[in-house]
Amino acid sequence: MTGGPALAFIRQPLVVALVLILALLLLGEILSPGFASGRQILRLLIVAALLGIVAAGQNLVILGGREGIDLSVGGVVSLSALIAGNLMSGSDAGIPLAILACVATGALFGILNGLGITLLRIPPLVMTLGMLGVLQGLLVVVRQGIPSGRAAPSLSQFVTQPFLFGLPGIIWLWIAVGLLMAFLLQRTVFGHRIYAIGSNERAAFMAGVPIRTVRVSLFALSGVFAAIAGICLLGYSGSSFANVGEQYMLPSIIAVVFGGTPLAGGKGGYTGTMAGAVLLVVLQSILTTINIDESGRQMVFGATLLVLMLFYGRGRAMRA
Amino acid sequence: MSKLKLIGVSKAYGATQALRRGDLEIESGEVHVLIGSNGSGKSTLCKIVAGSVRPDGGEVLLDGKPVDVSGPRAARALGIGIFYQELSLAAHRTVAENICLADLPMKAGIFIDREALTERAQHYIALFDGVAGDGFSAATVVEGLRADQRQLVEIMKALASEAPVLIFDEPTSALDRAQVERFFDILRRLKSEGRSIVFISHRMDEIFAIGDRVTVIRDGETVATSAIAATDSASVIRLMVGNEDELAPPTEAPATSSPASRDTLLSVRGFSGKGFANISFDVARGEIVGFGGLHGQGQSSVLRAIFGASPVTSGEIVLDGRTITTGNPRAAIRNGLAYVSGDRGREGIIQGRPILENLMPIHYLRDRLLLASPASLREKAKPAVEALHTKFAGFSHPINSLSGGNQQKIVIARWLIDRPDVLLLDDPTKGIDLSAKADLFTLIRKLAKEGMGIVLYSSEDAELLNNADRILVFNGGSVSRDLTGSERTRYNLYQAAYEAA
Amino acid sequence: MTTAATQQSAGSGLKRLVERYPFLPALAILVVLLALNGIYQPRSVSLVGITGLVKTYLALMLLAVAQTYVVFAGDIDLSAGAIVSLVNVVIIVLMEQWGGGPFMVLAAMGVGILAGFACGIINGFVVAGLRLQAIVATFATSIFFTGLALYVLPVAGMPAPAAFWRTYGGRFFEVPFVFYAVAVLATVLYLLACTRLVTRLLAVGDDAQAAFQSGLPVTAIRIRGYVLCGLFAALAAFCITGDTASGDPLVGGKMTLFSVAAVVLGGTALSGGFGTVVGSLIGALIIGLINSLVYFMGVPSQWQNLVQGVAILLALMAGVMIGRRARR
Repeated sequence: MTGGPALAFIRQPLVVALVLILALLLLGEILSPGFASGRQILRLLIVAALLGIVAAGQNLVILGGREGIDLSVGGVVSLSALIAGNLMSGSDAGIPLAILACVATGALFGILNGLGITLLRIPPLVMTLGMLGVLQGLLVVVRQGIPSGRAAPSLSQFVTQPFLFGLPGIIWLWIAVGLLMAFLLQRTVFGHRIYAIGSNERAAFMAGVPIRTVRVSLFALSGVFAAIAGICLLGYSGSSFANVGEQYMLPSIIAVVFGGTPLAGGKGGYTGTMAGAVLLVVLQSILTTINIDESGRQMVFGATLLVLMLFYGRGRAMRA
Repeated sequence: MSKLKLIGVSKAYGATQALRRGDLEIESGEVHVLIGSNGSGKSTLCKIVAGSVRPDGGEVLLDGKPVDVSGPRAARALGIGIFYQELSLAAHRTVAENICLADLPMKAGIFIDREALTERAQHYIALFDGVAGDGFSAATVVEGLRADQRQLVEIMKALASEAPVLIFDEPTSALDRAQVERFFDILRRLKSEGRSIVFISHRMDEIFAIGDRVTVIRDGETVATSAIAATDSASVIRLMVGNEDELAPPTEAPATSSPASRDTLLSVRGFSGKGFANISFDVARGEIVGFGGLHGQGQSSVLRAIFGASPVTSGEIVLDGRTITTGNPRAAIRNGLAYVSGDRGREGIIQGRPILENLMPIHYLRDRLLLASPASLREKAKPAVEALHTKFAGFSHPINSLSGGNQQKIVIARWLIDRPDVLLLDDPTKGIDLSAKADLFTLIRKLAKEGMGIVLYSSEDAELLNNADRILVFNGGSVSRDLTGSERTRYNLYQAAYEAA
Repeated sequence: MTTAATQQSAGSGLKRLVERYPFLPALAILVVLLALNGIYQPRSVSLVGITGLVKTYLALMLLAVAQTYVVFAGDIDLSAGAIVSLVNVVIIVLMEQWGGGPFMVLAAMGVGILAGFACGIINGFVVAGLRLQAIVATFATSIFFTGLALYVLPVAGMPAPAAFWRTYGGRFFEVPFVFYAVAVLATVLYLLACTRLVTRLLAVGDDAQAAFQSGLPVTAIRIRGYVLCGLFAALAAFCITGDTASGDPLVGGKMTLFSVAAVVLGGTALSGGFGTVVGSLIGALIIGLINSLVYFMGVPSQWQNLVQGVAILLALMAGVMIGRRARR
């Protein structure tokens, strides 16, 4: 880890998120005793891990700048959950093939996104929006014929039951993703190149950074992370059903923003995003705990998101 | 009483003090020239007056009364119009819409009165009748215009404000002679109407042709104001550069050992592309070849094209006996070329990232590294930054914490870890402090002595005269003179630059 | 410099035409799609067929127009669909409560317009006023508006008064009502195109900093863009209410992304500063025609969504690339 002011610089949004998480947990405990119990927190972390893994890919794409954004992650999550369910159909034997197929699918769609964005210079928002439509169509095709697949028992166990030191496997997986992302972003040439193109693409180009390769890789990784999240989601819910992934599209972006990575890219990191994911999940959970109906819950959720956004850098004023 | 008066105006952007103490006093009916080297704070001063930059301190007085220029709209209301150096045009709007953008003529409360709009715009377009060039009309979309035509639109836009105080921040940089003369006619007429005009230009002849008084600004501080009639270009330059002569690199002309005796390292043949045509030159091992001439005559374009950053229509590059193709900077770097841009903000530094990361991209590419271990990278970076006497607190600090000069040193140090064969320098000292310049040229000469071939384009003649073995003077996209040996004088450089322009 | 001048005059007439009317490529796609629809199902290009198409897609056309004004200024509104939902349930509930009389229907619609206006103000305030990122901020407001819609009408299904949907689906002097609506829409859009606001929105989208430095009230202009968006979203809600004849607090949610797609299909640049509302109208119709064509071509039902998705993706990519070629 780099020390000194650099760390302080990265930490700031992270501290904001952690303080907010603690405050919300406290609030939850007051409103509904037992909210912040170990068991509850574990359950929240499992849900946060699912979102957090999707957000890892989203985070990379956004870090790479040039209005990087991946709206197709939700589609990949759904498709991956569906494929995994079909290939496993409730038996452990299908797990390796399912993982392989899902990761390959995620990578394929990510690469297609990346190629459209780099070679044909389609804006990421447009490209991934169009790809979302394709994925949703594919979902209908794949779902056809085979009744909805079921998760392998070990997968469900991995996601929901204690695996090591009382923590479910998915938490360990998320920690591993966190470590991997930190290593990737801080200790690899690839990571430094991501920041370079995100912060100043022109300067990166002049310094010989292979911009297209890096950007295509980012979208490919985003697809892979979404696919992994899809498999885990299957394990979490037991069976795959239509469009389960849609709920991750915009929240994955919000988690990244709450983690201190601005949509403009070039700065931030994944540690903050993990906190951002937890923050979102805790917030949602608190709203389900308190006794208001769905409409009130949504209004409070939307308004709270807006207020929270004020904590994370507003845009530059026109008059500097 | 003066029309406009600025007292001790200051502005800092983060750690960079863009303007320390700006004083300026302008009378009605005068053209007041503001002069200073790049990055001295002229534009910041203008933008404060125009309301688009918020000053940290100081006072603005209009007609003797202190005013708060709270924004561009407030400035217009107060009667201040401005030509922005970087232009403030909407590319997809028409010339007429741009000219009248701030105050579009209306009918029925919400609709644009197209007839009145065209008529009003036509009035200002007519001022440049005959010199605006082909395809220039009220209905033309600005995006399709040439650089000089866009600049004319920005001039017209400033004029359309009909403000008593008009600021022109480098309005002539892309204009041709006829356009400049027409513009000066207009300025003279405005002056006779009693308007106050601030005029910024880097061309001495223009300043003496149109100015009444001149204020010199250096390192963010107003140095002096004097009547144009009572001064000359030499004393103005002396005020601009201050005590630079003492700090500047030794003026003993570099050894003029005949370059022919050395072996040719880089050979560029029949090079043509956007902004330059049929350029040929050789660089010998250990030679510093200077590119001179007025700004924007193709020097930068040639360097960028050699480096693969902009397309080439014809020509070849031979490096150390091999013909190489540089389709992009990556290929150029792999072949042993290096390029340093003077625009370090846009093309050099990676903002917000640690110094170490800013030092490494070339090393990553040339060594095909995958992992970045800070400890070993630091070891490699140390000699490179030390060679340039770079001052910094630690490799992990963000690049933005450094001064402009030190940032540029980091950008140059990038190329010293794995040495290139040829170093292309594209006005590398733009806006950096004097001691950093001195360090830089000491290093450049040392690198040349060690056998590197160097091409140096500089917008400051002194840098070329003091460092280059040979100076190719550019004019209109081709080389008009090749000055070697004792021909390298300021006079020859100046003459060749202006010859056909 | 002289070389640049000759290059420019060599630009083909077609290119200049596309530069002037950026929706032309979309129009070409639309004509091809209409022809294909006609080949596979002749009745689809009859008056009845076209009426049905317009009736179904008028809401999306209006929402695409709404989105366009925001995109002109370089912003985006991901809450547009939620505004449609909100206005839909507001007018349905009011019409139900006030009885279905014609004046009450109009009064309810007036309140619907006000609701759209208010949503636009809120969006403009958070994006331009508070300077939050448009994508995430309007996503947050979309959640808020959806919550509001759920509060007004918790479950879908409340019917619209007959006067309302009969008018929308009906004919006057042998001409379907929706065609009158389209004619009025065309007039309104033409008038709007002549306003100072639209020119200023485009100038802001071109380069917000330059517009600010030129003395434009950039924040106020962007807020007005969102207000226009809210108003047209309300009109879109009227159409969807007329088409579905019922209230549904989630009816517009799926339309948001289609409205963005329609804008891009129409040749408008998402980065702002360049485009036309006509293009967006055509873009919305393209989406509709792709959907119907896939149906008429007899694509097996489970493949229909995929073929639609791929066709829209390809059209989007073509739109972006043709638009860029025209401008460079």
